[in-house]
This record gives sequence, structure tokens and C-alpha cells, in this order.
Amino acid sequence: MTEREKTIKIAPVTRLEGHGELTVKLTKTGKVKDVQFNVSSTRFFEKFLEGRFAEEAPRIAPRICGICPEPHHLAATKAVEAAWDVTPPPAAIKLRRLLINAKQFSSHALHFFALAAPDFLAGPFGEPALRNVVAIIKAMPDVGKMALEMMQFGQDLAAAVGGKAIHPVTSIPGGMLNPFSEEKRDLFLKRVGQAKKQTLETVTLAKKVVQDYWDPITKLAVTPTYYIGMHNKGNLEIFDGNLRVMDPKGKIVADFKPKDYRKYFGEYVPEHSYATHIYYLPAGYPAGIWRANTLARVNVADRMATPIAQEALQEMRDALPRPIHATFAYHWARIIELVQAIEEIENLLKDSQIVSKDTKLSDVEPKKGDGVGCVEAPRGTLLHHYWTDERGIITKANMVVATNNNIAGIEKSLMVAAKQIFEDKAHEGLKFPDPMIK
Amino acid sequence: MVKRIALAQLTSCWGCDQSLLDLHLKLLDVLPSLDIVYWPAVVDFKVADLESMSNHSIHFGFVEGSCRTKEDVHLLKLMRQKSKILVAWGSCSVYGGVQGLGNQWELKDLLERKFLKADTITEGRIPDENLPGFTEHITPNPDIVDFDAILPGCPPTSENTAEALTALITSKSYDLPDKTVCDQCPKERKEKKIKKFYRTHQGHIDQNKCLLDQGYLCLGFATIGLCGAQCPTVNAPCKGCFGPPPSIKDHGAKIISALGAVADMPPEELERAFPDPLGSFYFTDYASSYLSKIRGKQRSKKTK
Repeated sequence: MTEREKTIKIAPVTRLEGHGELTVKLTKTGKVKDVQFNVSSTRFFEKFLEGRFAEEAPRIAPRICGICPEPHHLAATKAVEAAWDVTPPPAAIKLRRLLINAKQFSSHALHFFALAAPDFLAGPFGEPALRNVVAIIKAMPDVGKMALEMMQFGQDLAAAVGGKAIHPVTSIPGGMLNPFSEEKRDLFLKRVGQAKKQTLETVTLAKKVVQDYWDPITKLAVTPTYYIGMHNKGNLEIFDGNLRVMDPKGKIVADFKPKDYRKYFGEYVPEHSYATHIYYLPAGYPAGIWRANTLARVNVADRMATPIAQEALQEMRDALPRPIHATFAYHWARIIELVQAIEEIENLLKDSQIVSKDTKLSDVEPKKGDGVGCVEAPRGTLLHHYWTDERGIITKANMVVATNNNIAGIEKSLMVAAKQIFEDKAHEGLKFPDPMIK
Repeated sequence: MVKRIALAQLTSCWGCDQSLLDLHLKLLDVLPSLDIVYWPAVVDFKVADLESMSNHSIHFGFVEGSCRTKEDVHLLKLMRQKSKILVAWGSCSVYGGVQGLGNQWELKDLLERKFLKADTITEGRIPDENLPGFTEHITPNPDIVDFDAILPGCPPTSENTAEALTALITSKSYDLPDKTVCDQCPKERKEKKIKKFYRTHQGHIDQNKCLLDQGYLCLGFATIGLCGAQCPTVNAPCKGCFGPPPSIKDHGAKIISALGAVADMPPEELERAFPDPLGSFYFTDYASSYLSKIRGKQRSKKTK
């Protein structure tokens, strides 16, 4: 028992993209009084997009996130195309799908190996100096090398399609500025087999981690919430589809076109975070708090879009019933999506239309209107909404970025975990394996 | 000798960090010579760890991002204090970055748009509990503390960062080249006489010819040649995200005067073609422009 109120601060929260701090307030008797996830910066893109040429938004908006610029590049393009009533050629859509899957692949590999794996390989009680990807590379060179090669495959492919991997440039209202050459396609067709093999090895590695950490995965921070994610006729989808909302009991309570988002998306401004909390509007706040990102997507989708990923999903659903509320299962879901990404990439590379020269319209005209562009970023549902004047200049922008769909859910799961740890000393009772790196 | 390195993130997109990670297998060559003492994107050390280090005990401090919050200013000053060699890493750090475009407005307008007037907001308020508070405007980092080296880019390419890092590790000086993106661009250039400007979505782009010659606003001629002309190579006009070469002091002013010289049209028509000069000519470096600095001074006077 502590004798006075206590505040625990983790500043900054590390191994995440963005600026966040964690504040846990404990009462005199050691009860958890408050948990805050303080997102401590923001840059006001919504404002400084005003007055810009709308076709430049796909160049400006990627700067929101250097880890996942491709989804912003594409959501921005789709929003402008919706506002101007433009339909790009089919080959351009395939290139965009290739681009977003390349990013999904590299981001998921990065997240699994560099952001998440250190917790599992060095263990939650491991030394900070050992709890990072650099230590993994030193201690487990084979795994480290595989991780680096997988990330590189995704980033190289994103650069080949997008012009550059970080802040891509080729997508434009009306199509893609640069066709994909046969030489480049052949180069990646040669590499995709190895990347797929490594993905399946990662699945095996992830399954071992799941087995080793079964106790904390199924007991710690299990947090029922709503879920939001994209699907296409029930298949898990990241580029273009409807959005579904699932309630904490697993019932699909909404299924709608992204352009109608304002009927379903509420945005709560907390006092303690510059990132707002997006929630399911009809249920109100905080009851309607939802989560996005990998687990949310596999929860709302009926099935994966590709066969090996579907097998992996079935294995997960056999072990944990849908909807899965176990926060640590996000990592498992990430690996299932990694499989879908590599299968999608392989299919697209084998599609003869991917090297079509017909990738861009030449008669696109701006008009006054508004448009919504929505994709799934690796970290969740991402939506851009722009209004343009008759010259095609942005007069207003609203954006719901992936992380904001998750912030309230993160905070809620942190509250669950904090209560378990500070009040019930759950970490002492849970079974943890011996760390692989020590 | 193993050198101690710290990489700090002020307000930014973290693309510079991703770019460093994108060295991938080449990281294995660099890592053995480095002891990472602070890099929140990857390693678990906290600000308190950084604060407890002795002054000048870090060999190389890399600062990316710009000062949008008061916490950013604190971290920047802390990095200066603890580092022997401090590097402004990326265009946010060197020039203020894309968020510098926010300097066109007052802070209250930015806050209002985001926290009070967004379409989806149900009950607006300006968050202020356990949060650092914002700076009134973006000031480029080199106007706040002294740097020993600068490496612009949005982001700098993996090779740019590796080159700078290798120079530092081997105790060589790192200087920026006084060349432009055009010097690195494979497209065929002719003497310029632009009769009409086109927006990027318009018309048909000839892949072999200079984009500016075709009337697309490609800023390669006024932008430092560090990136390998990645964008024009794939038919996307250069937006100038690496900033100007060292000999040019004000990026946008240079662009405007150069365009005046090559545009074969009356000045009014040129003006009509670019209704958003700040966004078009100062993509990542508006905060370091004379215009923004004059505005900043007026703002400080008003608040005094």
C-alpha cells in the first residue's frame, strides 16, 4: 500500500511512430484512478491544406506519417477523384493496390520485428538496452537478417511503384504518373518467392511466440470494444471497400460506404491528448469506443481474401473465438495480414495488366465539390475528406487518421492492464517463458 | 572506437527514421561502430535517461522534426547541451518542414480548425491537461540552437544519411553539394521558353523530356541535388522538398525570379497560374523564408 497518491509517467512511449506519453494515476490505497495516453504533438494538416491545389494533396498528405505514407498518398488521391468525379484506368487501380500492399507488407514486418518482437524475445522484464531490434540483430542474426530482407522487399517494391518509398509521388487524380516497366516487374517476380517463404517462416515464429505467451495473451489487457474495418463482400480489404462496425458482442451493427462516414464517426476531444478519440457515433462516448488496425479488420471481415491467409485466420479463430478482444492478438492478426499482403502482391505481379502503359487520363478537370477517400492504413481505417472550389483548390479538409481510430481503445486497454498490474499484481501470476535474448 | 549516438524526434512524421532503417542490410555495416544511447522510435531509453547524461557526452546528436510544441524546444536544447556534434536531420529540422505552412495562420486558427470545427467533432475543446502546449509558430531549429552539420531532405535518402554518418564516424567534414536536382535528372532539357503552365493532373506527359520544358512546375532547378532526382525520374514534378542548394538563401524568391525569366507570358498570366505561391514555392521551407520571418516578427510584437 502506498501512502500518498502517485503518478507514474512513461515519457516517451517508445517503439511507436508518433509522440506519446503515458500517465497512470494511483490513489493512496493503490487503486488505479486514471490512465491517460497523452499524444503530445500534432501539426494541423487540416488547416494548412486549405488554399492548396487539390492535386497536390497526394504529395502533401503523406507527410502525416513517414512509416505509412502510401495509404495517405492514396486516400488523398481517392478523395480528390471523388470530388472531381474522376475514374482512373483499371491498370492504375492495380498499381495502387500493389503500392498499398507493398507498404502493408513492409510496415507489418517492421512492426512485428522492430516494434513488437523485442517485448517477446527479450521479455517484458528485459533490460531496455536489450529490448530493441538492434539487440535482436546481434543476438539472433538469422532472424534479424530475415526481418531486414522482408522490410526491404516491401520498401523496394513501394519505391518501384511509388517513385520513392517514403512519401511516394506517382498517384495523381486520374491515374498513375509512371507505368510499371516489364523489367521492374520481372525483377520483383524473381524476389517474391523468397519473400513469401520468409513470410511463412514468420508465421511459424509468430505461432511459437503465441504458444509461449499464451497466458498473458489470453489474460492481460483483454478489452471488449467496438471494431471498425474495411471489407469487400466480406473479404478483408485494404484499398477499396465498405466499412463495417462490429459491436463488443460480435454483431455487425453498421455496414456503409465511406462517403457516409459522418453518420457513424464521432470525434471526441479529450482534455489530455492532441490526438482525438474517434468512436461509433450512434453508441455515444465512451460506450462507442472502437478499435481499428489488424485485429479490428480480422474481426469485422468474414474471411481473408487469399487462401494461405485464410488458413492462418482459421487457425486463429479455432483458438480464439470471434470477436477477439485480446489486445496482444493484434500481433497475431498482423501476421495473418502479412500473409494476405504477400499473396496479393504475387497475384498482382502476375497480372499482365500491371505493366500496361495506359495508367493516366489526360482530360481530368477540377470541379467544385467534395469527396471522401478511404483506405486501410497498416494501423487502421484512414479517411480523407476534401472540399474544392471550381478551380480545384482545397477550401476545407477533414481527416480521420488511422491512429485516432485507435487512441481511445488503446487507452481503454491500458486501463484494463493497469488495473490488473497495479491492483491485482497480475504480472506476478502470469506465466512468461524464459527470454530468448538476455 | 564505438561512438555514442542519439537520435531525437521533435514534431515530425518519422520518415527520417524509416529512411535510416531502410538501409536494411547495410545497417549491419554501420551498427557495430555505434552505441545508440537515445532513439525512442527503436530503443527504450527515456527522456530522463537523456537528461541524466553529462554535457557533450554524446558524439553525434541527430535531431529530426521541428518545434511545434514547447516540449520540442526543450528536447532540442537538451540535445544541443548533450551532443558534441549536432546534426539537423531532414527538412523539418533544417527549415521547419511542411508544418511550417501553418505559419500562414495564427495558432488560434490552427487550434480552432482541428479541435473545435472539424466536421466529426461532437463537443470541441482545446486539450491542455498533461500536455506541453504549442509554440506560436514554427521557427527553424537552426534559429533556436547552433548546429554543426545540416542534412535536408523529406526525408533524406538512406544513402544521404549513411554518407553523413560515415563522414562523422571517420572524422571527416560533411558539406552539402552546390548542385541541383536538374544536375541529377535523366530527362532531356532544351532552352526554356514556357508558353503555358500545366497542373500535374493535366495533359499527357512526355517521359523523355524535361517536365519544366513541358510546362509542369518542376522545381529541380532551384533545389539541392541530393535525392538523385527521384521524382522527376518517375514523371512527378520536383516540389523542392530538399530545399535550395547552399548558395541560394531564399528558395521561393529564387523560384519566382527564375520563372519570370523563362515564362514567355505577361506577368499577370504567370501570377494567375500560381494562386498559391507559398504552397507551390515553399513546400517544406516556408518557416525559413523571409516572408514567414517577417510575419513571425510582427506576431511577436503584437503579443508583447
